[in-house]
Amino acid sequence: MAEQAAGKDQRLEMRAENLHQGMRLGPIFYIVESQQIRAFAAALRSASPLYQGDSPFAPPTMRLNDYALLIAQHFKGGRGGVHARHRCEFIEPVRAGQAVRVDGTVTFTQRKRGKFYFTLEYETRDATDRRLLMRQAITSVLLNPEGGLT
Amino acid sequence: MSVGKEMEVGSKFAGVPYLLDDTAAQAYERGLKHPPRRGSRINIHTDRAAATRAGFAAPIAAGEHTIAIAMQLVVDAFGERFLRGGGFEVALVKPVFFGDTIAAHARIARAQQDHLEIDLWVVNQHGAQVLTGTARVRTAEQ
Repeated sequence: MAEQAAGKDQRLEMRAENLHQGMRLGPIFYIVESQQIRAFAAALRSASPLYQGDSPFAPPTMRLNDYALLIAQHFKGGRGGVHARHRCEFIEPVRAGQAVRVDGTVTFTQRKRGKFYFTLEYETRDATDRRLLMRQAITSVLLNPEGGLT
Repeated sequence: MSVGKEMEVGSKFAGVPYLLDDTAAQAYERGLKHPPRRGSRINIHTDRAAATRAGFAAPIAAGEHTIAIAMQLVVDAFGERFLRGGGFEVALVKPVFFGDTIAAHARIARAQQDHLEIDLWVVNQHGAQVLTGTARVRTAEQ
């Protein structure tokens, strides 16, 4: 980004006041690496044949944490959050060597009993032909600036 | 476990218990390192003080790690029927601490015309549920 090249970090502080319903995050782009698929499968202690061979599938949960990339692209600081719920819909498997694009939208924010909840919905598409690969939604409780939940 | 043969409603299956210790967490991190993240590495997953401020007794494992263990059980049972047209919805109901041993469990809850609905839960070594939810996979005929 130009502002980063100029040494200015224009990302927003990661805090409840800066998270709004309808806020769009992304896109981010990357290429899925077979080495990463192997590493992720090893972490799960999985010998599934789906994750092996010349053109392996990525484990379906390997890209769950793309939400973190979307957030880090738009926000800085913050204490993180506690993962409360996750929803995922798999349309097509993601494969090694595939270039993908991820876009997200903050679809829900709520302060309830002192805790700040937000839902980020995000979808992964083939970056070449825009074919939809998966849709996800994560609901988290945002930690406050002191690192607490309330 | 047979992938080709359809399981009946009420069938239960479970994964091998998984020790989620520091070594497992580091292996999981290696599986996520591309593309690189730029978030703080001091957080409730890595730092005792940060975990305490958030109300946890010790650093907790990433929720996605527990979800990944649960969903691998479904992948092992149903393969592409999960990866192509499947999905899940889960709640992380209790923290998983490093050193916990977790095990994923599943039960075929309902058979619909084009998919199976599966109840999923993950328990720790004390038998407490840490994750609950559902998954869906395409039926074998499709």
